[in-house]
Amino acid sequence: MRRWRARLAPTWSKAQVPVYSIVLAFAVAAVVVIVSSAFTASGFDPLLPFAAYARLFAGAFGSGNGVANTLVAAAPLMFGGLAVGIGLKAGLFNIGVAGQFLVGAFAAAVTGAALAAAPTIVGMPLAMLAGGLAGAAYGFIPGYLKARTGAHEVVTTIMLNNAAALLLTWAVNDLVRAPGFSFPRTADIGQSALPILAGRNLHLGIAFAVAAVFVIRWILVRTTLGFEIRTVGANPSAARYAGMRPIFITALTMTISGLLAGLAGAIQMLGVIGFYAPGITASVGFDSIAVALLGRSDPIGILFAALLFGAFRAGAPLMQIETSVPIEVIDIIQALVILFLAADLIVRRVFRVRAPKIEIVELATVTGSWGAGTPPPGTAG
Amino acid sequence: MKRLLAICAAVGLVAAACGVIPGTGSGLKIGLVTDIGQLEDKSFNEFSWKGVQDGAKAVGGTAQAIVTKDIADYKQNIQQFVDQKYDVIVTVGFLISTDTLNAAKANPSIQFFGVDQFIPDPIPANYQGLLFNEAQAGYLAGIVAGTITKSGKIGAVGGRSDVPPVVNYIKGYENGAKSVKSTVTVSINYVEDFNAPDKGEASAKTMIGQGVDVLFQVAGLTGAGVLRAACNAKVYGIGVDVDQYLSLPDSAACIITSAEKHLQNATRDGIKRFKDKGKQTGNFTNDATNDGVGASPIRNLNPVPAGLTDKLTQATNDMKSGKLKPIP
Repeated sequence: MRRWRARLAPTWSKAQVPVYSIVLAFAVAAVVVIVSSAFTASGFDPLLPFAAYARLFAGAFGSGNGVANTLVAAAPLMFGGLAVGIGLKAGLFNIGVAGQFLVGAFAAAVTGAALAAAPTIVGMPLAMLAGGLAGAAYGFIPGYLKARTGAHEVVTTIMLNNAAALLLTWAVNDLVRAPGFSFPRTADIGQSALPILAGRNLHLGIAFAVAAVFVIRWILVRTTLGFEIRTVGANPSAARYAGMRPIFITALTMTISGLLAGLAGAIQMLGVIGFYAPGITASVGFDSIAVALLGRSDPIGILFAALLFGAFRAGAPLMQIETSVPIEVIDIIQALVILFLAADLIVRRVFRVRAPKIEIVELATVTGSWGAGTPPPGTAG
Repeated sequence: MKRLLAICAAVGLVAAACGVIPGTGSGLKIGLVTDIGQLEDKSFNEFSWKGVQDGAKAVGGTAQAIVTKDIADYKQNIQQFVDQKYDVIVTVGFLISTDTLNAAKANPSIQFFGVDQFIPDPIPANYQGLLFNEAQAGYLAGIVAGTITKSGKIGAVGGRSDVPPVVNYIKGYENGAKSVKSTVTVSINYVEDFNAPDKGEASAKTMIGQGVDVLFQVAGLTGAGVLRAACNAKVYGIGVDVDQYLSLPDSAACIITSAEKHLQNATRDGIKRFKDKGKQTGNFTNDATNDGVGASPIRNLNPVPAGLTDKLTQATNDMKSGKLKPIP
C-alpha cells in the first residue's frame, strides 16, 4: 500500500491541478445552470445541475452504446491532443490543427471514395495514409516557415486554417463533387470505411488512437528524437550548443503534429462522417488545444483528457433530452477547465494545494507566444 | 470547502439518479435534431424548433431538441431519440439528410421529417422532406421590389444557376416585380458560389452602379455581401429563406422584407398530418395554400407605400386559389 502511494505520488502531484480544475469547473457551471433555470419555463430549480450532470454521466457511460459514443468522440481528440501536445513539447503552439484536420479528412474522403469498391484491407489503409500525409504536408508549411524565416507559427497556422476551409470548399464544389446529391459533397467511401469492431459504431480508429498515444509517448521518452524535441522546447540555444539542429527539429515537429492532426481527420472521416462537404466543422481542432493543455502535453494525460471531452460530447444529447439543459453548458465547463488551469492560483487556494508549484511548460509556450520573446515581424506583439 | 463540495455533489447525484428522471407524458414524443449551430439562431433551427413545439402542443405530445455542434454528431443525435423511443424525429438542413435517410430505413416504425431536405427516390414510407414553393415567396418579394423602386431598375444575386430553388426564387421575383410595374428592368447575376461574400458584394456594387436600387439575395453566405453592399450604398435589400431583418442584424438597417419559408408552420403541420393521417412520405411542398411561404413583415419603410399590403394579400389569395402562377 505504502509503495503504491509512493509510486502514485509524483503522478498525483502532476495531475492534481487539472483534476481540481475539472471539479471547480463543474461547480461553477452548476451555479450558472441554477441561476439561468430561473429564466426558463420550468422555473427555478436548485437541483437541476445535479440532474443534468447525472444524465450527462449516464449518456456517456450508462450503456454500452454510451461508452462506444464516448470512445468514438474521444479518438480524434486523442490524435488532435497529441498533435498540439508534441508541438508544445518543442515550444511550438500549433493552432492549425483545425486546418490540418480538414485537409486530412478531405484527402481520406477522396481516396476512400476512389477505392470504395476495393477490399477494405486495401482502401482503408491507403485512405488513412492519404489523410496523414496530407495533414503532414499542411503542417510542414508553417514548420518550414518558422524554421527558415522565423514566421510565427501562431500567425501562419491561423491563416492556414482559413485557407484550408476555403480551398476545400472550392475543391468539393468544382473538382470532386459527387453526382446525385442535392448539395456539394464527395462520393460514398463504401468499403474504405473503418471496420466496426463492436456495437453500432465502435470503429477500428479508436485502437489506432490509443496506439498513437503510446507511440508518441515512446518517441518522446525513449528516443533521441524525443529528447531533441524536448530540449529544443526547453531552450533552443542550449540545444544548438549541444549539437542539435533546432531548425530541423522545429520543421520536423510541426510536420509530425500535422500528421497526427491529419490522422484525426482521417479517422473521423472514415469512421464517422463518411463524406466531405463544405460546412463540415472542425470543432476537434480547437477542442484539441484544450485537451493538450488539460493533459499537460503528456500522452497519457492527453488520453484521459480526450476521454473526458469525448464523454461530454457523448453524454450531451441525453442531458438535453431529459433535462432540457442546453449543450452550451458543456462549452462553459470546457472553457472553465482551461481558465482554472491557466489561473491555477485559484485552484490552489480553494483546494489548499500545498505541493510546490510546478512550472507548466505548455502554458508558458501558449502565453509567451505573444507576450515574451521577439514578436513576429509585422504584428504588434 | 473541499469536503462541502464533495458532499453536495454526492447528495445531488443520488437525488438526481433516484427520482428526477422526467415523466414522458401520454402523447407523441417528438424530437428535433438541429443543424450545426445554436437553437436560438433566428433562422432554420429556431423556427423549425418553434414549429415542433407548436405541433407537439397541437397533438398533445412532448417536444425535445438536441443541438448539433459538429457534423460528426448528427448520427449519434438522431440515434439518441431512436433509443429513447421517440415517435417523430425532425431533422434540419440538407447536411443531415444522409444520416436521416439511413435512420429512416433502419427504424421503419418512427416517422422522420427533414426540413429543407429533398429526398431522391426511393423514399422510405416513414420519411418526408419538407420543401417550399420558392417561386411564390420570390413573387411576393418581387411585388415589394417593384413597388418601392424609384429608378425602375431592380436586381437579384443568385448562388448557383444549377440549383433549382435558387432559380425559382429569382424567376418568381422577376415576375412579381413586373406584375406591379411592367416597365421594370431586372438585372440577374449568378455568382456560382454560396460562400463568397466578397463576390456577392462586388456583384451588388456593379448593379448599384447601373442604377439598381433594390437588391434581392438568394446566395447563402454570398448574399451577406450583397446586403452589405446595399446597406453601404443606402439602397434597399431583400433577404431570403427566413426573416433576415432578424437573422442578419448587421444589415437590418436596409432590409425591407424577406422571401420567407414559413418553417414554423411547416414542421407544425407535418406533425399534425402524421397525427391525423399516419405515416408521411415523399417530398411535401409548403406553399401559399398552407401558409408555407410568404413575405416577412415590411421593415424600414415609413410610411409603407399605399396599397403594398393589399397587393401582397391579393397575390397570396390568388396563389392560394390557383388563379396566379408565379412562373407561368
